[in-house]
Amino acid sequence: MRTLSKLFLVLSVLSFAVPAFAQGGGSSEVNWVAISAGFSMAFASGICALAQGKATAAAAEGLARNPAARPGIQLALILGLALIESLALYTLVIIFAKVK
Amino acid sequence: MPDEQPSVVSEHFYSGALDRIRRFMAVLAPVLIAATWWKFGVRSAIGLAFGCIIAYINFYWLKRVITGFVDRAAGATSSQSADGIVSRFLLRYVLMAVGAYVILTVSPASLNGLLAGLFLPVSAIACEAVYELYAALARGM
Repeated sequence: MRTLSKLFLVLSVLSFAVPAFAQGGGSSEVNWVAISAGFSMAFASGICALAQGKATAAAAEGLARNPAARPGIQLALILGLALIESLALYTLVIIFAKVK
Repeated sequence: MPDEQPSVVSEHFYSGALDRIRRFMAVLAPVLIAATWWKFGVRSAIGLAFGCIIAYINFYWLKRVITGFVDRAAGATSSQSADGIVSRFLLRYVLMAVGAYVILTVSPASLNGLLAGLFLPVSAIACEAVYELYAALARGM
């Protein structure tokens, strides 16, 4: 697992290195809006995925402790996951509005 | 024993929240589509209709997936297989991506409508929250 995370870290550093070395002409302008839009979507997706994982883990733990609380946990989990997904959609909408 | 009656009533009330949210979605979608048609034109209305359909199916599949997951977590016998639960969870994203791709290739002008339509469950949940607040106030908290 540590090797895998090191590999991803190296790959992400390399993805920065390629455009950095490509600069030289000075005529091409960097599209910062597109770059920041990509980063925003990546951050939003990652954080929403973490939040969904945490919500699901907490629901599973709650169900294992108290199976009788199933209806309330199920309702809260469905609403929570729907609202967390909508946060990623908000980011997507803002990106579409700014990048166009 | 006298405390049990309100608890049972409120439990029954809250257990119907998901069905009410689906009904709110079914009522809100035509109203919003008609308002969009009137205000922004037919292309945006078609995009919104696509978005509403995708959002409704997405919410329905989310509910089914969570039901299967909860069945498994609680140790109850589930009618859905684990592969079915996972594939349905992932299929929701494929459905959204295909819908967005179709709209982008056929009519990019209606993309705003599609994106707005994806927020139909959020609007329905907000309506449900207002309704629950009203019901709580009507019962005297």
